[in-house]
Amino acid sequence: MSLSRREFLKSSAAASAAAAVGMSVPAELEAAATEAEGSWRWDKAACRFCGTGCGIMMATKNGKIVAVKGDPAHPVNRGLNCIKGYFNAKIMYGADRLTTPLLRQDSNGNFDKKGKFAPVTWERAFDEMELNIRKALKEKGPEGVAVFASGQYTIMEGYAAQKMMKGGFRSNAIDPNARHCMASAVVGFYQTFGIDEPSGCYDDIELTDTVVSWGSNMAEMHPILWSRVTDRKLSDPDRVKVINMSTYRHRTSDLADIEIIFTPNSDLAMWNYIAREIVYNNPDAIDWDFLKKNIIFAASPVNMGYGLRRAGEKSLMPVRADGSAGKYSAAEMETINHEMVHVVSENEAPALKPYGYKAGDKMVNKPAGLKHWEISFEEYKKFLDPYTLDYVAKVSKGDPDEDIEEFKKKLQTLADLYIEKGRKVVSFWTMGMNQHTRGTWVNTLSYNVHFMLNKQALPGSGAFSLTGQPSACGTAREVGTFCHRLPADMMVKNPKHRKHTEDGWKIPHGTLNPVGNQHIMKIHRDIEDGIVKFAWVNVCNAYQDSASATHWIKAAREMDNFIVTSDGYPGISAMVSDLVLPSAMIYEKWGAYGNAERRSQHWRQQVLPVGDAMSDTWQWMELSKRFTVKDVWGPYTLRNGKKLADVRDAAHKMGYTDDTTMYEILYANERAKQYKIDLNSFPQKGYDNSDCNGDSRNVTGGDGKVVKGCGFMVHEYLWEEYASFGRGHGHDLADFTTYHKVRGLKWPVVDGKETQWRFNAKYDPYAAKAVAKSGNGSTHAFYGPLAKALTQGNLMGITDKKKKSLKNKAKIFARPYMEPPEVPDKDYDTWLCTGRVLEHWHSGTMTMRVPELFRAVPEALCYMHPQTAKDKGLKQGELCWVESRRGRVKAHVETRGRNRPPRSLVFVPWFDEKVFINKVCLDATCPQSKQTDYKKCAVRIYKA
Amino acid sequence: MKIISKITIGLATATLLFVGCSESAKSEATAPVKKQVIKPTINENSLGLRKKTLYDENLVPVKTNYNDGYTGSGFKIKRAFQDAPPMIPHDTTGLLPIKIGDNQCLSCHMPKAAAEGGIGATPIPSSHFTNFRPTSSYAIKGENTSSEKLAHVSIQKQDKLVGARFNCSQCHAPQTKGALNVENNFEADYTKKNGASQSSWNGTKLMEGINTFESSK
Repeated sequence: MSLSRREFLKSSAAASAAAAVGMSVPAELEAAATEAEGSWRWDKAACRFCGTGCGIMMATKNGKIVAVKGDPAHPVNRGLNCIKGYFNAKIMYGADRLTTPLLRQDSNGNFDKKGKFAPVTWERAFDEMELNIRKALKEKGPEGVAVFASGQYTIMEGYAAQKMMKGGFRSNAIDPNARHCMASAVVGFYQTFGIDEPSGCYDDIELTDTVVSWGSNMAEMHPILWSRVTDRKLSDPDRVKVINMSTYRHRTSDLADIEIIFTPNSDLAMWNYIAREIVYNNPDAIDWDFLKKNIIFAASPVNMGYGLRRAGEKSLMPVRADGSAGKYSAAEMETINHEMVHVVSENEAPALKPYGYKAGDKMVNKPAGLKHWEISFEEYKKFLDPYTLDYVAKVSKGDPDEDIEEFKKKLQTLADLYIEKGRKVVSFWTMGMNQHTRGTWVNTLSYNVHFMLNKQALPGSGAFSLTGQPSACGTAREVGTFCHRLPADMMVKNPKHRKHTEDGWKIPHGTLNPVGNQHIMKIHRDIEDGIVKFAWVNVCNAYQDSASATHWIKAAREMDNFIVTSDGYPGISAMVSDLVLPSAMIYEKWGAYGNAERRSQHWRQQVLPVGDAMSDTWQWMELSKRFTVKDVWGPYTLRNGKKLADVRDAAHKMGYTDDTTMYEILYANERAKQYKIDLNSFPQKGYDNSDCNGDSRNVTGGDGKVVKGCGFMVHEYLWEEYASFGRGHGHDLADFTTYHKVRGLKWPVVDGKETQWRFNAKYDPYAAKAVAKSGNGSTHAFYGPLAKALTQGNLMGITDKKKKSLKNKAKIFARPYMEPPEVPDKDYDTWLCTGRVLEHWHSGTMTMRVPELFRAVPEALCYMHPQTAKDKGLKQGELCWVESRRGRVKAHVETRGRNRPPRSLVFVPWFDEKVFINKVCLDATCPQSKQTDYKKCAVRIYKA
Repeated sequence: MKIISKITIGLATATLLFVGCSESAKSEATAPVKKQVIKPTINENSLGLRKKTLYDENLVPVKTNYNDGYTGSGFKIKRAFQDAPPMIPHDTTGLLPIKIGDNQCLSCHMPKAAAEGGIGATPIPSSHFTNFRPTSSYAIKGENTSSEKLAHVSIQKQDKLVGARFNCSQCHAPQTKGALNVENNFEADYTKKNGASQSSWNGTKLMEGINTFESSK
């Protein structure tokens, strides 16, 4: 058996690699190479799915993907993927890929909202989009044009979309589905640290002694992180403790030492209980030196509502005698009325006593925004007083069949583990703490405990928000593809930030719209109110993934508006759209994602798209060719009366004419053209690039001509321009080509080195610089710049309006336990929680088309306790109705499955088009983060 | 002319994709085309997986009906592609959940048990006894992984199952019988004769293709 030279080199590389880490060479490596993979081409790529951000190795042959394997070189997953990760190989090959644009028409070929679909050319598709955007701009101004954006956009796509929406159309009505998954974490970061994204990294898992999972089924939703936790646990089972905090038993409980099943929303009470244990019973555990140098205490209003619709909004008019209002039934209004006035419950009363409320009091809710102020430690201590073990156990115990004393013991052990000197602790959370009507609050409470114990931003210790989507961090957050944000943590309402962005984009000062309030639920509500007339569902599935779904579907189908969906496959959003566009899927384009540990990673286009599908970046560029300076940069008056200036003269002074297109300004500009096509060098050599060069399909584009591509390296241009906003501001990214050589880097990347623990002067050059400058000798500097000067006050409000600087400091917040707006009662007696399962991604659009994943979990089951089934007269496998005040769906009963709820709760995942659970869910949001609470509403279950 | 033929192709595709809702499509394609008009025949309910109106939830979800071959029946499911994780061909009732100290999968599938058990269980391959996470450098010391080079990729054989692969159900799942929602056109390309039944991810293959920079420079 002879080795080819190439194989020989490979074997010797592996052998020397083995030698380098000081281990013996496995005998196998010295044996002859296995059969060559001949015509296969291997390349690295990022997984399409969750926020873990695993690397995959992908093989292509003759322009098709043929295999995926784990990447031994990838620091996140080291040679292992989960079931979805491996089946990335198949996600683009479902037989019903969209291959051509589809438009609703009448028999004469005119657009007809009530018509059926027919295939149209890209040219016709863009004609209709252009026409309807012009109409919307004319009728409603920039607020009438909206985009349902995505945490699954590539970084460049998100940046391209944001430029056209905010810089071109001057509309801030672009908000990602990441609003539904991460917004509470974001506001938590902003309020606590003054800057977004986690201080820690995944290396914490191998370094810690304790993993506490708060409202995060990591075993299913972040399987590779869970495999790392498992490995850590098995490596030292006595020392390493795993605690699962959840409202129902699931796979994360299966490896846990302690499982705490709690009542929905009572995570607020339990965090405050741990804090009280520290402050009242273990004051020696407080690191006062750390606190004095780095932390202040803060409070905010409690009567802020639940992010529901408010009285007076157009769709809630008129109010009728039967309790119904506008487009909402009397039953729906029972819940919505909490938005205006909430009656303090017996359970809430002790927690709200320091704020002057008692049980039965009417709490009048007012939008409070993000306002908060500094308080004293004594005031914080007073706030913590109610959270005794007895009180917290009473409101938190979530399994009616569990003994209260047993539950108390678990809470006590939990607190003891956090407090134990020398014990490293990581607290992970995901949707349980984010999808929460007090999501921002509970996020901030997590840091309180870690701060007081000086167990934050240290190797192996810290509160660590895990993100849900593959680029919720990279695209939605870092690029700033939210209605209120701009790149690199800048805000649309900040005039300096707008000016800086306008300079970066070479657009006139005053172009950017300072009002950014159309978050994703607001876009739905604005469509229902007749404000938004054009909406584009872009790399998400807004009509399947939004709660109170019936309202938004009706608004889209029955009102005068134009809805577009671009996607790889037709889903529910395509069904309700007027125009459907075929999009290139992930490995059919160049791209980059950013994961939950700040790791940005790029991939190259592996294969050509199917049919006439083109990337979303291309779609945005084609659309931008249809709009000129004179079309979009004139004066507007917003609905709040605010004026957007006419910036056309300023544009002329910059060298643009009335007829210069947005394409020429925002995409194909002088800077962009510096990024050359170079098919002879790495990384472009040997790889397709449909956006830049066109491809052998010769698709007919938006101008009726064959697509030849933009002719410059648009991916590199968008990356470098975007990155220039963050460099030197704590968001430093490396250059485009570097990312193609490495398995991602954790930003800030300073002098070629990534950052593992932010805010820690030993690891983070920005923190080191801040500490050196302040001279206070601290180990940390929480250098985020947002909300870093506060007025002074107490729990009840502001007492001194003079603002005090808290440069480089973080905040501990006083935020009480409160209940959600809809809790089970005699009519709707059971909690409903929705979420994902391991085998499916989000709305199932991709994974339900992969045979292995479909066959693994072909339907959304209604997981319930065997006793619940018995009480309702249901048997395992039978159909039941799950009904709320908003609607009902049918699902099969599962009493023996992977999710094992207490009697008080059922779990129904949302991936299944045939079990449309978001018709049942409630669109309450955290009033601060605007993130929907999918984890709690009240339902009744009965036989179907 | 180009556009017209393109639309015809698009229409033909649409006819294929939306079978059952486009009976008039074929005749339309050959009819004289005015203003490049194609009769709209695609009903929204034919799009996607639901296949029913969005305005009525009185529909029946797919019913799970896992392969009920008992453990040891010898029935196996082909690997989806070379080195893809194999799916579980037998009933898992009573075998899950996997807990610390109670992983029932291992009792049949550990290589020794599989070889000696006589029930034809698929043995856990050598990749599952290979630890790729460096234990002696970088992250564990609190050092930065950006200074790691491909030459530092760690490949450590061990006798024990690698802890990271303890959760079998993270990659392997039972499979329901019955029709698919929609076909998938992926085509596997097995590089080994027994690629549909055995893992070949070991030896030099572990590093194969990993150097994506050098190989395409």
